[in-house]
Amino acid sequence: MIPLTHHLILAAVLFCIGMAGVLVRRNALVVFMSIELMLNAANLTFLAFARDRADAAGHASAFFIIAVAAAEAAIGLAIVISVFRSRGTINMDELRTLRN
Amino acid sequence: MALHSSMLTWVNAAGLAESLYFIIALPLLGAFISGVFGRLLGRANVNLLATAAVAGSFMLSLLVFAAINNAGVTAPNPFGDAVPYALGHDYGTWFAAGGFRVNFGLAVDHLSGTLLLVITGVGTLIHLYSTSYMEHDEGYWRFFAYLNLFVAMMLTLVMADNLVLLFVGWEGVGMCSYLLIGFWYKNPAYAFAGRKAFITNRVGDFGFLLGSFLLVLMVAALPAQAPSQAGRLEAGAAQVGPLNLRGVGALATALPYSAAKAPGAEVTLESRVASGPLAGFTYGGVLTAALLLFLLGAAGKSAQVPLYVWLPDAMAGPTPVSALIHAATMVTAGVYLFCRLSPLLVLSPAAMATVALIGGTTALLAALIAFTQNDIKKVLAYSTVSQLGLMFLGVGVGAFWAAAFHLVTHAFFKACLFLGAGSVMHGNGDETDIQKLGGLRKEMKVTWATFAVATLAITGVVPLSGFFSKDAILHAAHTHVVPGFEGAMHVAYALGLLTALSTAFYMTRAYVLAFEGERSKDAKVPHAHESAAAMTAPLVVLAVLSVLGAAWAFPLLPGTHEPVFENFLLPVFSVTEQVRAAAGTVLVPDHAGLPWGAYVQAWVIALIGAGSAFFLYTRFFPSRAGQPLPAALAFARNLSRNKFYADELYEAVLIRPLKFVARLAYQVLDALVIDTVAVRGTAWVTAQVGSALRLIQTGDVQAYAAIMAAAALGGIVYALSRVMP
Repeated sequence: MIPLTHHLILAAVLFCIGMAGVLVRRNALVVFMSIELMLNAANLTFLAFARDRADAAGHASAFFIIAVAAAEAAIGLAIVISVFRSRGTINMDELRTLRN
Repeated sequence: MALHSSMLTWVNAAGLAESLYFIIALPLLGAFISGVFGRLLGRANVNLLATAAVAGSFMLSLLVFAAINNAGVTAPNPFGDAVPYALGHDYGTWFAAGGFRVNFGLAVDHLSGTLLLVITGVGTLIHLYSTSYMEHDEGYWRFFAYLNLFVAMMLTLVMADNLVLLFVGWEGVGMCSYLLIGFWYKNPAYAFAGRKAFITNRVGDFGFLLGSFLLVLMVAALPAQAPSQAGRLEAGAAQVGPLNLRGVGALATALPYSAAKAPGAEVTLESRVASGPLAGFTYGGVLTAALLLFLLGAAGKSAQVPLYVWLPDAMAGPTPVSALIHAATMVTAGVYLFCRLSPLLVLSPAAMATVALIGGTTALLAALIAFTQNDIKKVLAYSTVSQLGLMFLGVGVGAFWAAAFHLVTHAFFKACLFLGAGSVMHGNGDETDIQKLGGLRKEMKVTWATFAVATLAITGVVPLSGFFSKDAILHAAHTHVVPGFEGAMHVAYALGLLTALSTAFYMTRAYVLAFEGERSKDAKVPHAHESAAAMTAPLVVLAVLSVLGAAWAFPLLPGTHEPVFENFLLPVFSVTEQVRAAAGTVLVPDHAGLPWGAYVQAWVIALIGAGSAFFLYTRFFPSRAGQPLPAALAFARNLSRNKFYADELYEAVLIRPLKFVARLAYQVLDALVIDTVAVRGTAWVTAQVGSALRLIQTGDVQAYAAIMAAAALGGIVYALSRVMP
């Protein structure tokens, strides 16, 4: 059986890759995909602990995260589309409307 | 009072004692309904409701008064000895700390019972009068709400069985007085008069509070120093608290006057306080200080020197208010307070002499000012100050029953005079200048007759009530001996006699100018009209009472024993009498053998004053109208007319410096320190920090996310460094 630490290290690596994607990529769609990656890293951690402790609560949490991630994906893609329609770009560097 | 006890067996004394609060609750409820729903209810309903509330209290007071005259009634009593002729009920603890307890307790004995009847009885008459007097005023509901509230507060004041609850009533009547003086608040002068009354009273109230604190500290210091003497005090104090009125009596009996009078006592008034904040002062000194502070409080409420200046200005309020609050009831609260503190007062001859001299000085000063006032209400106001001074004179010489008696008779005739003045104003287009009235005798017959009776009563003409009550005070000032302060008492007696002479003069002057002679050419309306029955009926009742009140003094006549009223108040002042007899501070001669000469003297004084005024103002002055006065007389007249420049003196000595300090505090503390440095300074620093931090707000979401990630990383590293070895 694969030990718990391996799962956790894999999850941490996935999370860091996702975070790096969020921080450095300029295309909003790619940033979006990176966020999904981070969410799934969290999912993996839940499942690893759930299996290690034989506790169904971790599985349930993973299902919740999948549901939330689906909802978030729907809203996020809608925002990306509407931003593209109004601005003609999805480059993060050009989207600085938070500053005045 | 003449009711036989067997007629009263149907009165359930215990049940009545528990229901004492109804007497206060009725007018309080009336005030609430008139104040909140008065505009909806309409004028007639408010008139009925407010008058009925006070009349209901009067009925209950009659019942209570009848019950306390039943010898079988005895109040539940914490000291283990019987207090006959009193009803009381303790509704529970208000607040307590250690052995100090303040309760919600009401008690009615012969003194407060008499005052209950005066307050609710005169109050009912004045409410009835007001229904007609205020018939054209838009604020009728506000007026009756305040008036009902006042009655409730005044009843709290006289029924409270401890000084703290008494202080609640004391403050309550002060507030109602303020509200009613400034009733026509759209006139800035009237609103100012209200503020003046309130602020002057606050000065006195401060003295009242400090006096109470001193009493508590004194009671607290006693047990450690004198366990055997304090035993009785503590037994009572644990149940009712040191500020209970019976606790005051217990304190007075627990403190012997001097070591010579009580050999072997652990503590006397001459010994020093051993511990606590008062350590080093003598008990007698602390007691005198406390009483003088109470005197300051009483001087504020009862308009004595130096705090009398508010009362004449208080005439800005509607005339029924002047009659009820500023003549009959509220202003006598100081006299009532000192009757309640009498067991302590007789332990301090210095405080007694001060009270007597303050009273005498006030009486004469106010009487001299009243000589030249032309506003009929101002004359009556200064007359009230003067008569209150006489009451304080009575308290100061130890004639507490006489002061209380004068309080009652004064309530009758002064209320009658004020309501008469109101009737005169009502019938003459609100004219208050007596020089522009005249000849009302023929046009306002009822008002004239009642005003004349009341004038005779205050002048002190036999056999009206004012003669007996005033003379009882003067007689006491003449015959009571306070060892060590004989000179002060002689001065006080002389002041009292001069006041009696002046009173007769100025009251006759006001009466003659307003009612006798020809109608003035300057009158506002050509013919005066008599007031409605709702206004004249109270006048008649009060005039009759002004005459009948004398009955309570009749056995004072030569060859008989003590007067009815003194006998009647004996249960109230029994502790005072014991303390006084033990201490030997006031020597009271026997009543027997009072010479007729004393009566003749008082009568002659009244006749000289009244006769000279009558002669001067009906014969002499009308023929000299328009001619200049001799310089000395003109000077004296201007001095009196300008009230001895008391207001100007206060303005220069007190108000200006106070305003200067206030302006300084405003400019330095308020405008500079608080506004500029504290408030605007905080805003300025926040704004500066904000504009500095603004530079790092790039609007780049990814930069924010990077900072978040870096911070989270830092947190993780820190956490790991703490758990890893």
